[in-house]
Amino acid sequence: MQLYRKKRVEIFVEAARAPVIIEMIEAAGARGYTVVPKVSGMGNRGMRDGGHLSGVFRNVLIIVIAAEEIAQRIVTESQPLLENYAGIVAVSDVEVVRDEHF
Amino acid sequence: MNELFQLAFGNLFSPMVLFFALGVAAGCLKSDLAIPEVISRGLSLYLMLAIGFKGGVELAQNGATGTTIIALALAVTLSFTLPVIAYFLLRAMTRLDTPNAAAIAAHYGSVSVVTFVAATGFLGYQGVFYEGYLVAMLALMETPAIVTGLLLARRGMSRTTVNSPPVLSPQIIREVFLSGSVVLLVGSFVIGWITGDKGMAVMAPAVREPFEALLAVFLLDIGLLVGQRLGDFRMVGKPLVLFGICMPLIGAAIGLFSAHAIGLSVGGITLVAVLAASASYIVVPAAMRLSLPQANPAIYVTLSLAVTFPFNVVIGIPLYHAAARLIGAE
Repeated sequence: MQLYRKKRVEIFVEAARAPVIIEMIEAAGARGYTVVPKVSGMGNRGMRDGGHLSGVFRNVLIIVIAAEEIAQRIVTESQPLLENYAGIVAVSDVEVVRDEHF
Repeated sequence: MNELFQLAFGNLFSPMVLFFALGVAAGCLKSDLAIPEVISRGLSLYLMLAIGFKGGVELAQNGATGTTIIALALAVTLSFTLPVIAYFLLRAMTRLDTPNAAAIAAHYGSVSVVTFVAATGFLGYQGVFYEGYLVAMLALMETPAIVTGLLLARRGMSRTTVNSPPVLSPQIIREVFLSGSVVLLVGSFVIGWITGDKGMAVMAPAVREPFEALLAVFLLDIGLLVGQRLGDFRMVGKPLVLFGICMPLIGAAIGLFSAHAIGLSVGGITLVAVLAASASYIVVPAAMRLSLPQANPAIYVTLSLAVTFPFNVVIGIPLYHAAARLIGAE
């Protein structure tokens, strides 16, 4: 089967900041994204475990699969937006089946 | 004085306080006891609905008076001004930078709904009357402190950064005014006010009888959260912990005297003291994360949730009530 090379951008970000990141992803030209609404783990801000009162300790995971130049744009533009917030950005190579969706 | 302490601590062993203590102990010891998140959310919605509704019905029964309006104005004034006191106290007592001090100050001008609910549970347990419209004071005190906190931050930071934070973005306004708790509290209050005694006849089995028992279950859950956060004490440091106990006492004193001055009942004076003493740990942290991201949430949430909240629930409420009885009896 024919497969198409794409980039997969994963952004682990504080729930409070997610709307701004998603807005940027849409503006960068991505045709879609996936949000995992609650992820927990440990990083340089200590344990992020989602303590359910106000969500200030909650992280979400946003996944975007896109063409390389769009992925680049998302990565670059995410940096100033993540200042002062918990955030990890990672990019990996993936292959997809339906090229026209990305 | 002796009588004051007897009043204050004779009732330490209510089921509410003991379930809270059980939660703290289980959280500290890392027990796997947990209240499922949906249930705890449901309980918190129930408590808002019940307290809002009861307040509205009480207002329908007794009607709005001049004192009602003055009390509401007092609520807004307290919420605007308490953060200023908190801010300068923090600058004097600790080495916190401007954003952190301003963020913490906003928490102390705003209110903790759960502390207020616990206080009404305490008064209910003792059979003490309080003015129902104080629920409206609760709703009004949530927000002004956020504005003061952000203004204090802007004032202190304009020298160091070029872009000072916008004081109220549309996102913040939505987050604060349309937060679920505010909508349900105010909505239930209005429904209670419109339907009055007839409404209460319908709602009483849900909002009156099981109220204190469900509050005890909810406090168990909050106790677990507090217990889990106690480990963050190191991060907060001794001067801040001391602030977390001094500030409620200062707030309570201001609340006591101003409530007495406007002529509220002993129960009412107690509740205003509780409002002025309590610190937000749900609405204000969310607002500060959006508009003052330089401040560290681990500090302000730990301080208001793990220091001030338990202090108010266990020691503060009975103490403020005893003081209100002394003042009110004059």
